[in-house]
Amino acid sequence: MRSNHLPSQPHADMQLIERAGYFQVPGAHLYSVLHEVEQPAARVLLVGPFASERHNTYIPWVRWARFLAERNIEVLRYDYRGIGESTGALEEMTFEDLSQDIRLLAEWLATRTPKAPLLLHGHAMGAVLAGRAFDEGIGDGLLLWSPPVSANQALRSTLMRWVGLEQIFKFGANRRSTADYIRELEQGTPLEVDGYEWSTKLWKESFSFPLPEALITEKTGGVAYDRPVKITQLGRDAAPLATGGSVGYDDLKDFTWLFKPHYEWIAEAATKSNQRAQYATSN
Amino acid sequence: MQQATETRELIRIEILGYRLRGTYHRPAEDSSASWTCRTSSGGTAILFFNSLALPRAATGDSAVYWAEAFARRGYPTFRFDLPGLGDSDGQTSTDLLEFINSGGFAPAAVGIAKELVDRAGYSGVVMVGHCAGAVTANYAAAAFKKCKGMILLDPYFHLPVAKRPETREMLSDWARRSVVGRPLSNLFDRLKHLRLFLRGSALPGNANTKLLSKWKEVSAAGLPILVFKAPGIKAQGTKPRVGEFDYLEYVTKLAGRKSDLVMKSIETADHSFANRAGREAVREAAEGWLACHFLPADSAAHAKADSLPGKANKRSGSTKTRVAPPNPDCALEGR
Repeated sequence: MRSNHLPSQPHADMQLIERAGYFQVPGAHLYSVLHEVEQPAARVLLVGPFASERHNTYIPWVRWARFLAERNIEVLRYDYRGIGESTGALEEMTFEDLSQDIRLLAEWLATRTPKAPLLLHGHAMGAVLAGRAFDEGIGDGLLLWSPPVSANQALRSTLMRWVGLEQIFKFGANRRSTADYIRELEQGTPLEVDGYEWSTKLWKESFSFPLPEALITEKTGGVAYDRPVKITQLGRDAAPLATGGSVGYDDLKDFTWLFKPHYEWIAEAATKSNQRAQYATSN
Repeated sequence: MQQATETRELIRIEILGYRLRGTYHRPAEDSSASWTCRTSSGGTAILFFNSLALPRAATGDSAVYWAEAFARRGYPTFRFDLPGLGDSDGQTSTDLLEFINSGGFAPAAVGIAKELVDRAGYSGVVMVGHCAGAVTANYAAAAFKKCKGMILLDPYFHLPVAKRPETREMLSDWARRSVVGRPLSNLFDRLKHLRLFLRGSALPGNANTKLLSKWKEVSAAGLPILVFKAPGIKAQGTKPRVGEFDYLEYVTKLAGRKSDLVMKSIETADHSFANRAGREAVREAAEGWLACHFLPADSAAHAKADSLPGKANKRSGSTKTRVAPPNPDCALEGR
């Protein structure tokens, strides 16, 4: 029997337990933080932004995990291999490696007791990865924030943000456009973006790593899968989770307006999943 | 999930009521089970602080890169998230920059450093900070006697001025892009330079005088300090853009003759120092500076470091051996 305690307000006396550790996968140790809940109403695997976007969005991402944990949703967040606190070499990473990592993390989370519905939440590059995992049958529900149509679109968006910042420090002919950098990358020269080395292989591979077609809109997603799907395009007001804003200021603002409706959707999706499970058991 | 890999250990400490999280980069020679269970004591630990709102890995994971490099050279290295940042507990003020510039993180930073000394038996710490992290390191160094040195990357000593009007931003952007804009921008810089010249050596109105007094306190006392400078907009070496006040020259004078200050310009770096060329240049210079001032922590490492060519033991007092305090966790390890 699955537990189902969904408070609309955080537990005032709740002592949040956050367990940081290294999750071993082939070729790397993934830095993971489990926001542990004793009797969770649901479990959520957060699949976050990629490379430098991880850094820009870290504070609201952690706060989102805590917001959910305070409301009885157990959360697991992690760093991609070769990025942040995880080990491994980014230059050697493939998108298939990242997909495999999600499978292993989701499998581990799903085996925790007591049983609870497992939802995937992907943001930016993480939305492509979570969407593809969901398409493979992983998870009882899927929440996507600003999903790009492909991994390449996610990389391109990161690149454009970086080029914009680079141009502040460059004058006249030294200023290069996004197209100039892409040309170099496509000709085989690795590109350093915010301290991360993007290989030509990574760039080329990103074109053939799309978001599943059914997840282009929430409506098509709802039709294609017999499991709840929610897709939200974040606007500038959600910076730094969306493009725009000022570093050091927007990270610290109150995101309750964004978190609350999405928590409510997760709670509802978990309830539906429990009802389906009960119906399946009774029949 | 594991708490440690071969070279890293995740740690959590309680400071000022906050659970703070960090990563310990184990020196190559250290075979202890945990950072609190060292087999020897003394030596100097290296401690990184967050830069503004960034997590402890820093831009492009540059802090991870440097921490691993220092650990390979025998220096136990720690990276911590300050309260409200990264994975640590706490709510940070929305005026984060103002909070940092007034030394708001110093009590937590000192608390972490003290914990390393008290629980792991280090004789002192070298504090490392980039940009706003350098401000925190400076305040903390002044408040903690066992701070043995500082590595500061692009430190600043001023307070932010009010946000520039949008039209001014657009004009600056046009000047950067346009062929006509460049000479006009240069002319504007010259006018600013003239104004600066007429003011003499007086500090600008937005100088962070509280921070400057802390700087004077630590630098004039001879604390070894290594400062890295990345080229700014229209600037070269450690010199600022024409028309801007030269804070580095000012703080060098403020430090006085007894200071142990090294300024290093990294022409290949951007402000974050995270690009390959920049981070490597920082690593190389910092390793050399560390070897000149501090012995690595453990005896095996000591022997290795002593054989380094050109190594000077300028602050051998800082590595005086002392017995590590008993640790209940270590006793539990043996059960």
